[in-house]
Amino acid sequence: MPTTIEDQRLDALFTALSDRTRRDIVARLSAGEATVTELAEPYAMSMQAVSQHLRVLERSGLISRERHKQTRPCRLDPAALEAAVSWIEQSRRTWSARMDRLETHLAHRQERES
Amino acid sequence: MSEDEFVYRREFSAPRELVWRCLTEPAELACFWGPRGMSTPVEGIIVELHPGGRFETLMLGEHGSHRMVARFTEVVAPERLAWVESASGLHTTSTLDDLGDGRTVVVIHQRHVPEAMRAPEARAGFLTSLDKLEQHLAQLRQGDRS
Repeated sequence: MPTTIEDQRLDALFTALSDRTRRDIVARLSAGEATVTELAEPYAMSMQAVSQHLRVLERSGLISRERHKQTRPCRLDPAALEAAVSWIEQSRRTWSARMDRLETHLAHRQERES
Repeated sequence: MSEDEFVYRREFSAPRELVWRCLTEPAELACFWGPRGMSTPVEGIIVELHPGGRFETLMLGEHGSHRMVARFTEVVAPERLAWVESASGLHTTSTLDDLGDGRTVVVIHQRHVPEAMRAPEARAGFLTSLDKLEQHLAQLRQGDRS
């Protein structure tokens, strides 16, 4: 199970992925890096709004932005996505163990009642 | 089944009403919710058993704590219980099936939101993760059958 710091990181990650536009941006970047202008193109929203989305994605660690170029292209960090996937995996594994314990608990409960 | 869905099935030698109580009453949940190496004290469990109601568990362990914060999306006693975790969007549905001979089948069904993970243009890291996840789920499913 993740610790509290890990929880905060995952919260930021899943918060970032909870928005459709941001998921679109992530999907788009998975094909290669892009500038803010390129990313803003398909949306009927201001550059400012797109930049806001990019800041949320950047904070979550899902994307990083080139510091040295004028256009500051964005690119995806696949490691962050893997963290999200492995969390889901872990949470699922938890169920198998939980059902084992429920089985034992039910046996005890029924012994007590009979 | 798409790759971001997960189904887990388990049969219990117990009547459905009892299994339902175990899955919905804090005093019962505290006995088994886990996970391993962590305890879930009854004081840290919130169950507001109606759609929109809170479902929260505070799990304590040596190396830290983990709070699950969720909202029930479906409550049909004693057969169906569903909730969605606020942080991750992970949606879990438990279905309790009465076999009529004192046994109950519980099916846990989970699905996850991020559509980005399913986008056709997804590449590299994405696909590696999903492949690993798919392999792992296949192993889990094999484990279930054995």
